[in-house]
Amino acid sequence: MKKTTPNILILGGGVAGMAAAQTFSDQDVAVHLVERESALGGHAAMWACMATDTCQNCGACLSIEMADQVQKQENVISHLDTIVETINKAKQGYKVILENKETFNVEKIIMATGFSLFNPVQINSLHYDEYKNVITTAELNTILQKETLSGYFNGKPDPKIAFIQCVGSRNREQGKDFCSQVCCKISMRHANKLTHLFPESDITLFYMDLQIIGKEVRPLFKTLSKNIALVQGVPAEILEDTETNMLTIVAEDKETQSRVSKAFDLIVLSVGMQPSPTLETTAGILGLKPNSWGFFNTDQAVLAEDVIIAGCANGPKDILSSKQDGRIAAAKVIEDLGLNTNNKLNIAVFGQGTQADQAAEIISSKGYSTYLFGPGTSLSKDTPVTFLNESNIISISGTAGNFSLYYESGNEKKYLTCAAIIAAFEPEQSLNRLENISNEFLSLDAFSQMIEKKPDTCPDNSVILLDYFGPEFKSFARLALKTSVKAKALGKNISIIMNKTLVHGALGQRLYDTARQQGVDFFRFETREDLKFEDSGNGFLIKLRETTLPSIELSLNCDCLVLPPSLTPAEGFKDAAALLRLPLDREGFLQSANTRHRLTRSSRKGIFFAGTCHDEIDKNDLDNEINDILSALSTESFELPDVDTGVEINQGMCAQCLTCIRVCPHSAIVMNKKNRPQIVANACFSCHLCVSNCPAYAIESKELTNDQIAQKVEKDKMVILACERSAALAAGSLTLPDHITLIPIPCACRISSDVILKALLNGASKVIISGCHEENCRSMEGSNIADASVRQVLSIPGMDASKVAWEPIAANETKKFERIISKARG
Amino acid sequence: MDTATINKTSTLYKMLNQFELGNNISECLTCGACNSRCTWFNGEGGPLPRQIIRMAALGLDEQLVNSNMLWDCLLCNRCTQGCPMGISMDKVVRKARSLAIADDTIPKDIKIGIKNRIELGDVNALTTEEFVETVEWVSEEFVDEVDDPKAEIPHDIKGTKLLYLPNPRELGINLLHLTAMAKLFYATKETWTLSAHHTDVTNWGYFVGKDDIAKKMVLMVVEPAEALGVETLVLSECGHGYHALKYLMEDIIGRKPKFEVVSMPELIVRYAKKGVLKFDPGVHPYKIAYHDPCNIARKSGGYDAPRELLSMVCEGVVELIPNREDGVCCGGGGGILQDSTSKNKRMITGKPKADQMTATGLPNLATACLSCHRQLSELSNHYKLGIKVDTVASLASESLIL
Ligand code: SF4
Ligand code: SF4
Ligand code: SF4
Ligand code: SF4
Repeated sequence: MKKTTPNILILGGGVAGMAAAQTFSDQDVAVHLVERESALGGHAAMWACMATDTCQNCGACLSIEMADQVQKQENVISHLDTIVETINKAKQGYKVILENKETFNVEKIIMATGFSLFNPVQINSLHYDEYKNVITTAELNTILQKETLSGYFNGKPDPKIAFIQCVGSRNREQGKDFCSQVCCKISMRHANKLTHLFPESDITLFYMDLQIIGKEVRPLFKTLSKNIALVQGVPAEILEDTETNMLTIVAEDKETQSRVSKAFDLIVLSVGMQPSPTLETTAGILGLKPNSWGFFNTDQAVLAEDVIIAGCANGPKDILSSKQDGRIAAAKVIEDLGLNTNNKLNIAVFGQGTQADQAAEIISSKGYSTYLFGPGTSLSKDTPVTFLNESNIISISGTAGNFSLYYESGNEKKYLTCAAIIAAFEPEQSLNRLENISNEFLSLDAFSQMIEKKPDTCPDNSVILLDYFGPEFKSFARLALKTSVKAKALGKNISIIMNKTLVHGALGQRLYDTARQQGVDFFRFETREDLKFEDSGNGFLIKLRETTLPSIELSLNCDCLVLPPSLTPAEGFKDAAALLRLPLDREGFLQSANTRHRLTRSSRKGIFFAGTCHDEIDKNDLDNEINDILSALSTESFELPDVDTGVEINQGMCAQCLTCIRVCPHSAIVMNKKNRPQIVANACFSCHLCVSNCPAYAIESKELTNDQIAQKVEKDKMVILACERSAALAAGSLTLPDHITLIPIPCACRISSDVILKALLNGASKVIISGCHEENCRSMEGSNIADASVRQVLSIPGMDASKVAWEPIAANETKKFERIISKARG
Repeated sequence: MDTATINKTSTLYKMLNQFELGNNISECLTCGACNSRCTWFNGEGGPLPRQIIRMAALGLDEQLVNSNMLWDCLLCNRCTQGCPMGISMDKVVRKARSLAIADDTIPKDIKIGIKNRIELGDVNALTTEEFVETVEWVSEEFVDEVDDPKAEIPHDIKGTKLLYLPNPRELGINLLHLTAMAKLFYATKETWTLSAHHTDVTNWGYFVGKDDIAKKMVLMVVEPAEALGVETLVLSECGHGYHALKYLMEDIIGRKPKFEVVSMPELIVRYAKKGVLKFDPGVHPYKIAYHDPCNIARKSGGYDAPRELLSMVCEGVVELIPNREDGVCCGGGGGILQDSTSKNKRMITGKPKADQMTATGLPNLATACLSCHRQLSELSNHYKLGIKVDTVASLASESLIL
C-alpha cells in the first residue's frame, strides 16, 4: 500500500538518486525517478571491480544491485531514457513536463544529477587525443571490465604503467581550485589491481598529495607502497618516442639532480570530477545557481526551497558517500512532508566522549528516547537524554527494534530495551615523542587552543610536524592548516612539515591556497630519515632534506614544535566488538570495511557506528553519519513485520545445539521465551547460512532445501550456484548456453559440501559456486564458507578436481563470468 | 650535501612576494608540473624548474645565484605554461639574475652589449655616422634593384606612418635582410622611415632582469619614435624584442606609447589582407615547417601572423610537434645565444628542437625571430640536418610581386 500518490521527483538515477528512491520505497512513499540514460546505475555501474584476492571496498558493484532492486520497487516510477523538458513553479510545488510530454506535479525535488569527468583534451600537452595509450581512469575501468588490457601492451608481461593524478583538479588557473576527492583512491585501487593482474608490471604513480583517507584506503596504501613506485610531482606533458613508440615523461631524477626521460607503455590520467553537463540547464529551470565550480557545495551556490541536492551535484564524492547522501536527502524530504510513521523508539548510544554526546543530543532532539552509556560531559543537564554513566554492559541480546541490553550499574543489574544501538566510542589518543629531544613540544590541540584563547602567548616561530608517525588523520591535518592560517594572521612565522597535504572536503584546496598565500611555509619529506631534530636553547633546530630540494640540507629554527596526536584503537575495542558480535577492521578499529554495510551500518541490523571509533572522520562527516543513522531510524522498519525470510526452524527436529545462534552472521536468531531458537524476521537477511550449518537439518528453507537445489540440477549440464547479489547479477543480461544451469542462491554461504555432492550425484558435469569477493559478502563470510566447502569436496579421495570450483564474481564482472563459463566448457 | 638556512627576509623573497596573486612564488603547490616541461628535456645539465621556484620561495638566494640553473634557464616559460598557480618562470629567474650578488655571473658578452647599448645606443656600438653611411649605401643598391628612384630607403623622416626598428644584425652582417624588408615597405606604398635612434630592437636588460636597464632601453626606442611622430612602430623579427616592446611595453614604462607596435610579419599580413601586398607562392613551391619563437608565441600570444603569412608565400605550413603554447625553445633563449662561449651548451639545449625538425622530414623551416634563426641554422649544421632556415618576413620578401 502506498502512503502517497507520487509527489516527489528524483532527478538522476545514479547512486545518490537510487539510494534516495530506495529509501522512499522502504517507507512506502511513491516517487518519480527520471534518468537520462536507458538504465539506472550512473557512472558507478560502468566501473570495474577492483578486487584482487579480496574486495577493495570501492562500492562499484553495489550500484548494479541497487539498480536491480530499485527497478523492482512498485513505489518507484522510473522514467528512463528521458529528460525533464520544463519544470514550472506551481501553487504548491512544481509542475514537471518530461521530454516525452508526460506531465505530473510534485512537491519536492531531489536533484541527484551526478557528475561528469574532466576531458583531458583540454590539456594539449598530455596528447590524450593523439596517443592511444594515454587513457583516463574511466577508460581503464571499461578496459578492465572488458578484460582487454593486455591488448595495450603488445604481449609484454612486464608493462611499464604510469598514473598521473590531479588531471583537471586542484588547478586555480583552470578555475578548478578543488580536490576531486576520489581520484587518489581510484588510482590506488587501479594500481593495486594491475599489480595483481600483471605481477611483473612496473607501475609508477605520480601524485601531488596522495589523499590517504579512510579505513578502506590506509591498508591499501600500505600494500601499494611496497609494490609500486610512488613519486611526488605530477607531470604535465607526455610525448612519444618515435623510435620505440613508448610514451615518455620527463621527471626530476633525485640521484643525478637532472631531468630524465622515463618510458611507459600505458599512462592513465586520473581525471577529476566536474558537474554533469546538464546541471546548468536543470539548475536554471529550477531557479538554482551553482557555485563557480558548478557544484552546490559552498555557500556561494544559491538553493531553492523544496529542492534538495544530493550526491555529486553537491561536490565530488565517492560511491559510498553518494549513497549516504541520497539516503539523507530522502529522509529529509520524508520528514519535511510529514510522511514519517515510524514510532520514536528507544535508542542507546555508547561512548565516553563528545562524539557520543553529539549523537545522543541530535537523536534525542528528534524525539527518540535516548540512553547514553557515557558521562555526557559536553551535554547540558537539560538535554533530554538519560545518562547511564558508570554502567557496564554485560550482554546485548535481541534484534533490531528489540535489543535487550543487560548492564550493571553500581551493584545493580538492569535491562534496557532499545530499538537501535549507536556505537560512538573514543579511540586512544596519544602523543608520540620524538627521540633525542628533551625540550618540551606542544600538542596540536594545545597549540590551537593557545592561538584561540591566549594569542599573545603564541611563540614567534612554530613548526607543525605532520605525517611523521604515519599518514596523518584528516581531522588533525585540517586543524593544522586552520591553526597555521590563524597564527599567520597574528603575524607569527609558521611552517608545516608534512609528507602530503590533505585537501579533502569542498574547501580543502582553497584553505591550502590561502595558507600559502599568507606565507605559511610548507616542507615536504619523504621518509623519516629526511628529518633530524635537535634541541636548540629553549627551541628546536630541524634539519631537513626537502623533497623538492633533495640536494640541500635545510635548517629551520623554531621556538615551538607542534605535534598532532595519534589515534589508535582503544583497548576496549576488542571487547566492544565481542559484545556487539561484530568484527573489527584490519587496523583494529570497530566495523569491518565491508561495503555492504558501510558507512555507518553493520551486518547486525540496528547497530550503527559513528565517529572515530570506526573510521577516519571529521566533524562534517560525523554530522553526515548521524544524519544517515537518523535516516535509517526513521525510514527502516524496526518493528516486527510479517516478512517472509524463506527460512524456518522446524522445532520438532531442533536438537537445541544452538549452532544457528552461534553462526548467524546477522545475529538474527535468538532464544525465545520457550527457550528455543527462533529466527527474527526483520533481522534476518535470508542468507541461509543456518540452513547449511544446522547439524540436525532442522532449519528448513522454503525454496532452497538441499533437495530442491539438487532437483534443479540437470544431468550432464554444468551447474552454477550463483549469489543473487553478485554472480547472478553479473550473469543477468547474458543468454546462457544450453549446457549451463544457473541456480540463484541468496548467499554463497548457503552452499555446504552436501549441496555440491548432491548436485554431482544428480549428474552435474561440473559445479561452480560463485559469489561475492572475499570481504564483500553481505553476510560477511559467505565467500570463505563456499570456498571451504569446495575444498572439502575436492579433498575427498578420487574426486576429479576439474568438477568443482569456487569463483568470486562481482555484479560488475559480466566479462569474467563469460570467461569462466567459456573456459569451463572448453 | 649543501646546507642552507631558510631566509624569509632575503632580497629575492621580498621582491617576489610583491607580485600579485598568480606570480607569487610562495603560492607554488609543489605540484611538479614544471619539472616535466623544461625545454632542456633530458639534456645533461640545465634547470630543475621546481627547484628554482622553491629556492626562491625559501629565500635561498645564494644557492640559486650560485647554481648553474640561473643562466642555464632560457626564460622560455615552457615549464610554467601549465602551472596551476599561474607562476611564470621568466619573472622569477630574471629577478634572481637582477640580484646584486648575481652581477658576477652575467656573461661577459652581455655585459659589454648592455654597456654599448646604454652608452652608445647600439649593442654593437654602431655610431650615427656608421648608421647613415650603411643605410645610404643599402638604399642605393635597393634603388638600382627595383629600378625606381623613389624607392630610396628613408631615414630620420618625421611624421611617417611607419618606423622600422631593425635587429642590429641587419645593420651589420645581414644587410640583405634590411634590403628585403625595405622591399616590403616600399610595396606597402606607405610613408616609412628608418632612424639613427632606432638601430636596435633587442633589450638585453630584459635578459639580466634589471628593470631599470630594461626600461631605459625601451624608452630609448619609445621617446625618439614619439619625437618623430610615427603612427606605427614596426619591429624587426625578434622574439624578446617583441615581448618587451609589445607585450610588456606598458608594464615597463608605465604608460601607453603614442604609437602602435606591430611585428614585421603582422604588418605584412595586414597589407596582404588589404590586397596591397601580393605574393607568388610559386617562388617557394614547398611546404614549410614553422618554429614558434617562445617570446612571441607562448609568452606574448603571437601565434597566428607568421603562420598566415607563410601560407601565402609557400605551399603551406607544417607544424612541429609540439607547437604553439607547448612549442620547444630553439635552445638559444634567455641570453644564452648572446654569450659567445655557449655554443656547446646550445647544441645540448637545441637537441630536442633538432629532433623535432628532423621529425618533419622537410628541408625547409621558417621562424619569426632572427635569434631563433641563427640558433636553428647552427643546429642544422651541427646535427647535419640539411634543413634550410629562413625568417618568415624574408620569405615574404622573396615572394613579393612588385
Ligand atoms: S567486489 Fe564490489 S566493492 Fe569489492 S572491489 Fe569489486 S566492485 Fe568494488
Ligand atoms: S589530490 Fe584530490 S584531485 Fe588530486 S588525484 Fe587525489 S583526490 Fe584527485
Ligand atoms: S623557462 Fe625554459 S629553460 Fe627555464 S626552466 Fe623553464 S623550461 Fe627550462
Ligand atoms: S608548476 Fe607551478 S605550482 Fe607546480 S611546482 Fe611548478 S611552479 Fe610550483
